[in-house]
Amino acid sequence: MNSQRNVVGKNVWKVDGVKLVTGGPSFTDDIHLPGMLYGKILPSPYAHARIKRIDTRKAKALAGVHAVLTYKDVPRVPHTTAGQAWPEPSPYDTYLLDSKVRFVGDRVAAVAAESRAIAEKALRLIEVEYEVLPAVLDMEQAMAPGAAVIHDEPDSKGIHDAARNIAGYILREIGNVEEGFRESDRIYEREYRTQRQQHCILEPHVTISWLDADGRLVIRSSTQVPYHSRRQVAMILQIPVSRIHVIKPRIGGGFGGKQEMLLEDICGALALAARRPVKIEYTRQEEFYMARTRHPQILKMKIGVKRDGTIVASQLTVLATTGAYGSHSTTVQGNTGSKVLPLYRAPHMRFECHVVYTNAPVAGAFRGYGCPQGFFAQETLVDEIAYDLGMDPVEFHRQNVIRLGDMDLLSAQLGEGKEGLPRHIRSCGLPECLDRGAAAIDWARKRKASGPEGTPPASHLKRGVGMACTMQGSGIAGIDWASAFLKMNEDGSFFLQVGASDVGGGADTVLAQIAAETLGVSLDKIVITSGDTDTTPFDVGAYASSTTIISGGAVKKAAEKVREQVLRMAARMLDTSPDKLACGDNQVSTIGESTRSVTMTQIALHSMYKEKTQIMDGASHFNTDSPPPFCATFAEVEVDTQTGRIRVPHLVTAVDPGTAINPMQAEGQVEGAVTQGLGYALTEELVLDDAGRPVNPNFLDYKIFGAKDMPKLTTILVQTDEPLGPYGAKSISEVPINGPAPAIANAIFHAIGVRFRKLPIRPEDVLRALREKETATDDQCL
Amino acid sequence: MFDTVEAFYRPGTVGEALRLLQSGKGRARVVAGGTDLVVEADRSIRFLIDITHAGLSYVRRRGNACVVGATTTMAALESSPAIRALASGILAQAASNCGSVQIRNMATLGGNLANGSPAADTATPLLALDAEVVLADARGRRKIPLPAFYSGQRKTASSKVLLVEIVIPAPPRGGRWSFQKLGRTESDISLVNAAAGLQLDSQGRVKWARIALGAVAPTPIRAVNAENLLVGRKADKAALAAACDEVAREVKPITDVRASAEYRREMSRVLARRALEECAALTGCSL
Amino acid sequence: MKTMEVRLNVNGEPKHWIIAPGDLLLDVLRREGYFGVKRGCESGECGACTVLVDGKPINSCLMFAAKAEGADVLTIEGLARGGVLHPIQEAFLDHGAAQCGFCTPGMILNAKALLDRKPNPTEEEVREVLAGTLCRCTGYRKPVEAVLAAAGRAGRKPAPREATR
Repeated sequence: MNSQRNVVGKNVWKVDGVKLVTGGPSFTDDIHLPGMLYGKILPSPYAHARIKRIDTRKAKALAGVHAVLTYKDVPRVPHTTAGQAWPEPSPYDTYLLDSKVRFVGDRVAAVAAESRAIAEKALRLIEVEYEVLPAVLDMEQAMAPGAAVIHDEPDSKGIHDAARNIAGYILREIGNVEEGFRESDRIYEREYRTQRQQHCILEPHVTISWLDADGRLVIRSSTQVPYHSRRQVAMILQIPVSRIHVIKPRIGGGFGGKQEMLLEDICGALALAARRPVKIEYTRQEEFYMARTRHPQILKMKIGVKRDGTIVASQLTVLATTGAYGSHSTTVQGNTGSKVLPLYRAPHMRFECHVVYTNAPVAGAFRGYGCPQGFFAQETLVDEIAYDLGMDPVEFHRQNVIRLGDMDLLSAQLGEGKEGLPRHIRSCGLPECLDRGAAAIDWARKRKASGPEGTPPASHLKRGVGMACTMQGSGIAGIDWASAFLKMNEDGSFFLQVGASDVGGGADTVLAQIAAETLGVSLDKIVITSGDTDTTPFDVGAYASSTTIISGGAVKKAAEKVREQVLRMAARMLDTSPDKLACGDNQVSTIGESTRSVTMTQIALHSMYKEKTQIMDGASHFNTDSPPPFCATFAEVEVDTQTGRIRVPHLVTAVDPGTAINPMQAEGQVEGAVTQGLGYALTEELVLDDAGRPVNPNFLDYKIFGAKDMPKLTTILVQTDEPLGPYGAKSISEVPINGPAPAIANAIFHAIGVRFRKLPIRPEDVLRALREKETATDDQCL
Repeated sequence: MFDTVEAFYRPGTVGEALRLLQSGKGRARVVAGGTDLVVEADRSIRFLIDITHAGLSYVRRRGNACVVGATTTMAALESSPAIRALASGILAQAASNCGSVQIRNMATLGGNLANGSPAADTATPLLALDAEVVLADARGRRKIPLPAFYSGQRKTASSKVLLVEIVIPAPPRGGRWSFQKLGRTESDISLVNAAAGLQLDSQGRVKWARIALGAVAPTPIRAVNAENLLVGRKADKAALAAACDEVAREVKPITDVRASAEYRREMSRVLARRALEECAALTGCSL
Repeated sequence: MKTMEVRLNVNGEPKHWIIAPGDLLLDVLRREGYFGVKRGCESGECGACTVLVDGKPINSCLMFAAKAEGADVLTIEGLARGGVLHPIQEAFLDHGAAQCGFCTPGMILNAKALLDRKPNPTEEEVREVLAGTLCRCTGYRKPVEAVLAAAGRAGRKPAPREATR
């Protein structure tokens, strides 16, 4: 077998690409089911209230209404909605429907009716009497004595300290930070604040549920986690897992917002009550505040360094809010510590975090999963340190970042909610990412030319450049796992069945490429089915940057087993032994001189009709480590000092994803991730008023980057060879989102000498800071 | 959701449209592009009257004025040679800022004004250009200045009145104009917008000035004090600065999720300054 | 419920619809099986519902279906002819410009309208039309490249690809 690759590493068309560009019906809502009803959820108008009385008689009596559900009509089963492996580390603090509401938008009741209009009318006919309770909206007040207790119900489980509104608490240390700070020549400590960012997935959450002819509950849903959803729905509706069938069609984006069992339970409950198919589709407004958001955090970061810039100790203390329910509460915040601090080789690290409840929209998984917050704090603090020491930030990073061969011990303490596993760095392209990224943005020249000294004084436009390094993980060590199954067809093609959830990033394509490469066939000989709990084997789902490395690992294993069967069959046909044969070019040939071969088609026909055996096999896979992808982000900004507007003319992202199975798709992941990072840095925030109501739940006033806002994007793939990944792959889909906010904040400092420690960095904030700086200078002159 | 709408009409004349409006007894609404009406989702509407086939889509000369039919789309305005040539193209520019390509293919000039938002991008240049609107009702047509249209908005409740035409008098030759807009991103509703016009005499002194601003008061406004401050003065940096300081005093912005009043006030000063500087540059005057 | 009739052409085929007067074009198109027209925001902000009406891109979520009387409507389903992809569709595949694909129909139709009236647009002009479609997956870079490539101004030649059919 030669080392040249035929399919892996190629920019093939997405296997679902033709369907997507021709608008072929393939998304959840792209079907008509006879008799389908429209489901709708009645949202709470209050941030915190008890339902004293709820009367659904008028709603039920409305013509065209087939089901109305309140907490009285459904089982009360505490659970989490977080799409995580069982037993989920998130608190079991959520109920299908409850007699208490804990945020504006929380479920009060649900209806299913013959049209959207009738469903909306039915909601208006539900009479509810609330006992309004004091709401806790400020996360800094959530633990204060006297604060209203949000989860006072006795049957919830896994809450760290419900009486004090603490959903989760984490404390981990390696070494001894106090000792480390004593050894430091200089200590820096700052506070940072990050906002509530919303996924803005173009395809809203949508689920259709019905009973099939066997009376099994079918759930067709836009989800990243079909298997977790199946398990959770089974538990909540008290139906056996085997009586539920979850289907994941094409998904119009997820980004973590669909790593959640969000509508499947209530939709299934309505379908069971109405005995007809029911569809629930969120409106855009509901998407904004009744789905999930990123966790807002207050981060106190303290770093001790030697005079020469070596980091000795780093300490991160975080206060985060998970909103009204604890979905992903400890795991997201765990990442803020475990993926962020070990970027540097400090012997002493400490991470402490309180995650509190507030009566606010629920936070959950969102691309980066705790890392954007942490890297914003760490990478801007490190920039401040470098500046203070008179060091080039790039050099500061080179000196301190984790290296090939290192071991990250903090990860051993912070797994998915429990003890993790230590990380060995077996592949690391970060030094090259720094080199190539710096060159691409012309770092050396622009650091000198721009900045307060460099810009022509007459111009109101100030330019600057800044950078940041970040890392992530590739799958959750010891927990994320996947399986794959392959069977051969008469025409020499293979059906590949995987539980993995392609949510738009191209997972199906990448997995098919891995299978094709391993089997020595062309890509068109692989037909992939994914994310169907009846017909595909298990996969945890699309999250934690696990699909290429873990699902891909399973695909490779399964393909290797099937390849063995193919070779043995061919060996019998060619009257030789398997070790003298190789797969390639859709055939099996003898290695060496006088080549004899049989095509895959011939092998298939022979096995099926002569030997009467189906060539098929499957495999499962997990890793006990999580090799990090690495990223160096460089940003050039232009600050309009009259309006405060920040423009980003150029953003460079240099990533080490291991091997890029499909470089074009990998670039696409980078470009999408940094666009979300740009919004995180400059424009996005879901704002709540002082009654906890969302103020801007729409695209008009929640601004994401559009085609005219974009910087010039330079994407550099620095490929390395990761031993734990199929064909050397790690991951790429999350890590680039962590870079833009700190790189931009650092570039702004370079441009105008102002440090921003709060996101998003809005024009008003820039203008105010510039005024304050001016006045301060004046004062000093007096 | 418009499930309660009982009928959708497409009258071929203004007269027919008015009769339908009248018979709707307050539950009929006129729709042109629909880009505001559909988003508002007013559930009380029972009858929709689509006036885009009533002969109101045109750009014409009438005497010295440019007249625009109320259902002329933003896309038509931004590509119309007459509108692009008018007043340094500020109305065409404003129209090209009214949302995405898709929105501009549907949104109409009349709709932009009738919606009454002080942030309407086209209202600001029209105000600066002393535009008038023609209203039609059962008794006939009358022409009123744009400010009167805005102040009458709430009172007339326009259930029986139709905005049919916008009349833009020819701006003085020798005048140069500029339109400036500030949003949070490149495609955004205006946080502040400004339209200015300036004419200088042979000594570089201001003969007349027009400064209009949007999104910084309950209606689009003219900064009349600032305009008066400029007249007769040499158009230099000091004069512009003084005028723009006055602009900042004349605006009455609010704080909302988009921006604070303080920021809008400051941006009024900045945009007015940029607009005036551009006008001066267009006259060939260097500041 | 009151109904009315609408006669129009969709993708070159004459259609005779029975609709409610307040029906929106997006809802009617999806009801009639044109699933390529997407529902993203229902307020004209995201552009996922874009179709061409008499050659012009509009947000079908904001258009009353009754307004389409007598019009020629083009949805994404009408772009490929006899199974042959339109050059813009090919370019999107060549350049990896479609990720989840939800905003893709809207982008492609908007691009087609642009190239029909301006066969050689600048990058700025391409970004101007794509600004009417929000995308959360791509960062717009590859879609812009794809449209420019389809216009014959290839920015970057994609590597030769494997057949996938």
